[in-house]
Amino acid sequence: MMCGIAQISPFLLFGGLLLVGTVAAPENASSRGDDVTGAWTVEQVVASLKEEREPEVPFEEATHSSLLSAPLIVRGILRFTPPSRLEKEVLEPYHERYVVEGDLVTFESERKRLKKSISLGDYPGLRGFVEAFRAGFTGDAGRLMQSYDTVIEGTRLKWTLVLRPRDPAGRAMVEDLVFAGSEGRISSIVIHAADGDRSVMTLRRGAAK
Amino acid sequence: MRASRWPVFIWSICFVGALWLAATELSIHSDLSDLLPEGTTNTQRLLLTQVRSGLAGRLILVAIEGAEPDELARLSRDLSKRLQGDAQIDFVGNGAQGLPSDEQELLFRLRYFLSSTLQVDTFSVDSLRGALEKRLDDLRSPFGLLIKEYIPSDPTGEFLGILQSWSEWEAPTKHREVWMSADLQRALLVVQTKAAGFDAEPQAAIQQHIQAVFQRLREDSSSARLLLSGPGVFAVEIQQTIEQEIWWLSVTASLLVVVFLCVTYRSVTLMVLSLIPLTSGILAGLVAVNSWFGFVHGITLGFGITLLGVVDDYPIHLFSHLTRKESAQTTMRAIWPTMRLGIVTTAIGFSSLLLAGFPALAQLGLFAVAGLGTAAVVTRWVLPVCIPAGFVPRDISPDLGRLVGGLPKAKIVVPVAVILATIVLIWSDTPLWQEDLESLSPLSADKKELDQHLRQELGAPDVRDLLVVEGTSVEALLMKAEAMMPRLEQLREGRVLSGYDIVSRYLPSHHMQQDRLKVLPEREVLERNLAVAQKGLPFMPGLFAPFVTAVAEARSLPFIDRDTFRGTTLGMKLESLLFSHQDEWLAIVPLRGVLDRTQLATAAASWGDTSVSYVDLKEESNRLMRAYRNRMMQLVGWGTIAITVSLAVGLGSITRLGPVLAPIGCALIVVVAVLKGSGESISLFHVATFLLVIGLGLDYSLFFNRREGTESERAKTVFGLLVCSTTTILVFGLLAFSKIPVLHAIGLTAACGSLCCLLFSGLMAQREATDA
Repeated sequence: MMCGIAQISPFLLFGGLLLVGTVAAPENASSRGDDVTGAWTVEQVVASLKEEREPEVPFEEATHSSLLSAPLIVRGILRFTPPSRLEKEVLEPYHERYVVEGDLVTFESERKRLKKSISLGDYPGLRGFVEAFRAGFTGDAGRLMQSYDTVIEGTRLKWTLVLRPRDPAGRAMVEDLVFAGSEGRISSIVIHAADGDRSVMTLRRGAAK
Repeated sequence: MRASRWPVFIWSICFVGALWLAATELSIHSDLSDLLPEGTTNTQRLLLTQVRSGLAGRLILVAIEGAEPDELARLSRDLSKRLQGDAQIDFVGNGAQGLPSDEQELLFRLRYFLSSTLQVDTFSVDSLRGALEKRLDDLRSPFGLLIKEYIPSDPTGEFLGILQSWSEWEAPTKHREVWMSADLQRALLVVQTKAAGFDAEPQAAIQQHIQAVFQRLREDSSSARLLLSGPGVFAVEIQQTIEQEIWWLSVTASLLVVVFLCVTYRSVTLMVLSLIPLTSGILAGLVAVNSWFGFVHGITLGFGITLLGVVDDYPIHLFSHLTRKESAQTTMRAIWPTMRLGIVTTAIGFSSLLLAGFPALAQLGLFAVAGLGTAAVVTRWVLPVCIPAGFVPRDISPDLGRLVGGLPKAKIVVPVAVILATIVLIWSDTPLWQEDLESLSPLSADKKELDQHLRQELGAPDVRDLLVVEGTSVEALLMKAEAMMPRLEQLREGRVLSGYDIVSRYLPSHHMQQDRLKVLPEREVLERNLAVAQKGLPFMPGLFAPFVTAVAEARSLPFIDRDTFRGTTLGMKLESLLFSHQDEWLAIVPLRGVLDRTQLATAAASWGDTSVSYVDLKEESNRLMRAYRNRMMQLVGWGTIAITVSLAVGLGSITRLGPVLAPIGCALIVVVAVLKGSGESISLFHVATFLLVIGLGLDYSLFFNRREGTESERAKTVFGLLVCSTTTILVFGLLAFSKIPVLHAIGLTAACGSLCCLLFSGLMAQREATDA
């Protein structure tokens, strides 16, 4: 039996999108973060993120790759519809849409004339993110902590939250995810790929900039 | 006196010799495929070869159920990990395995041979520009990290295109990286064994091993269960069923016969004596089958011994005729002409089994003929010597003779029975012939259902519909297959079928490889085109050097063939789709989800290529069974003629043939009617049993029609016949209760047949004429 492309792992860049949801979840367990700062804990970040959550946020994402002489930029909108629908819509320079709903990921591209659905089960790395996100929404902080090592630094007005995947499949692809923000607003999400490439997503919320 | 001991002496030596042979040389097989026929047409022979050793037969479908999805997934992962390295197992798949990296490298290196998306203009400036822009899109999409590593050496995306075109197979859904049923109730795996599916012994060992590993992995409190299915599992199950059945049937049958003989004769000496011909016969049968076929199948052994129970009739005839006045030798000499004729005709009946061309029946036939002959010789020359002088097992009242002698007065019963039987034959709705091979399988319906279900969930082919393509060489075959692909695509689009697998998807012909190579540009041309195409795009300078080198290298690579992939996953795939068979090459195209078989057959015929044929395996195996049944019918016909001729010679008169043969003819009509009336259609195995019935019936009929002087002798004959037929009816009647359809068919036919033969022979016996 041939194992085709379906065997090749996840599209992890989705992680950023998913975490908007994840961190918007209440979390009971405190991380090592609060020992370090004392002022600002993962718990508090989660609480205020949920409080200040907006249904959609415009973003700009820059992909830095060792293959490229200059970063590639896309712009679009992130949407979140409780309890579990996440959408990343790219508007520039072309139109593309990724939707995670339940166990299904739908990918739609105008330019590639493509509409494709895949099951999260086929993408172990991605599944980790989605599970973290779900754990957050069901208030299951234990499951989030199962998926990531979390470190929080900084103050209430300027914090960074680092999530490192615990799952080897996830870590093979992604070194860590770094969230930066102020109170309940995320200003940027940086994903460091294991091979040194990175994607920097800047969220431009009305109050954030 | 000394001279009369010679036979015993010779017999003892032969017996010991045969025992020694049996102990040292005997090889007992359990592989069911050894009993499968050779097939009458080329296609049938091919399919049977495939069934014997093919890949489909070696696949075990595995399901784990009865626990939470996460636990099922863990069990699936652990089970697959533990089984992976096993020497008896070729491959374990549960969805978690990708291609091994060395195989990926091989395919990557050969991508320009394998890629079906390669076009004449793939390397033109415009196409390259388009491809590079697509790669930029990929890089900024969530797929970027996956594809990144292939971009510098394969910017036109040939490798991923190859994998994509190969993954058409609809894989099951996944949960935690492993295959699951859509409702997450079952984790699904496949195990490919080294042993052929029909090789029951190693199959049983592998299956036990899988079960044992699973039990160790399972936590004690867990309610998780392991389900196995597939040809190998069926083979083991069939064999176990047969073994169990044969065991309880032979034990019960022996007990019944022993008890019956004890009650009838009340003599231990007699029991021991009657074992002499029987054991000699069994031993002779074993040695004969083993030296002719090189092995004895377990089924031949079990069933042949039951069948040879018939030879117990011979000592019983002898015992019944013993008197105090004459020696056993004298008695034997007196009844020998009648017995000899019965033996010859029964042997003729059994030897038709030999000629049936069906290995299972041929072994049985040889076993029976050799056993019968030996038992007869032993009864004639050895047994009388062993009987103590003056041994008379039982005094038989002459009344019995008179009673039975009165039977012919009720002769009218026979025509009435035949007329009734004819009416049943005409009116019964049951089809006369058994056309569906499936119904002969001893597997329970829910096992078959489970198999169907797992196949569906796994998306595994159901091994029913195939196209078979023949060619004189691999190259010719591959070119034919390449030409077929667009036609198959049409059928798929027309919803005649939902999918297919074909060898040319994985291995292009040399001709096709040549065409693809021609597309590859020279280094300078490619460098020039690439430079133009890349202009203005933010790729690192020199990024595509590996691409330019790869294309240049591909131009000088040797053509690929089957050997290139030997021992790889792809190699295994090729092996299952392409193989040589008797000087020619064959490709099998498994079809999935065939909706319209007639349309498919018409379409395949309309291609006008005689080397391509559509095969409906179910239909084909039924046709095979039908062919053997017809052949068997012919043999029964010839056998009957041979029996009639030898009877005419033996009886020395044609007029005496009538009374001997008529009861048997009538009995056969009634048996067929009983079968049909009870809702059974006639299969190959019923037909084979008719021969046995003819043999038994002749024996009865000959003794009933024997010229006998006195009333008391007559009574002895009748008594002997009653004992013989009762044992036969007991043994075969028991067989009729077997849950194995074949044994049931044989048992019912033989029990019913011998009862009718006995009854009709008694009713139609022409004693008045012979008494004079």
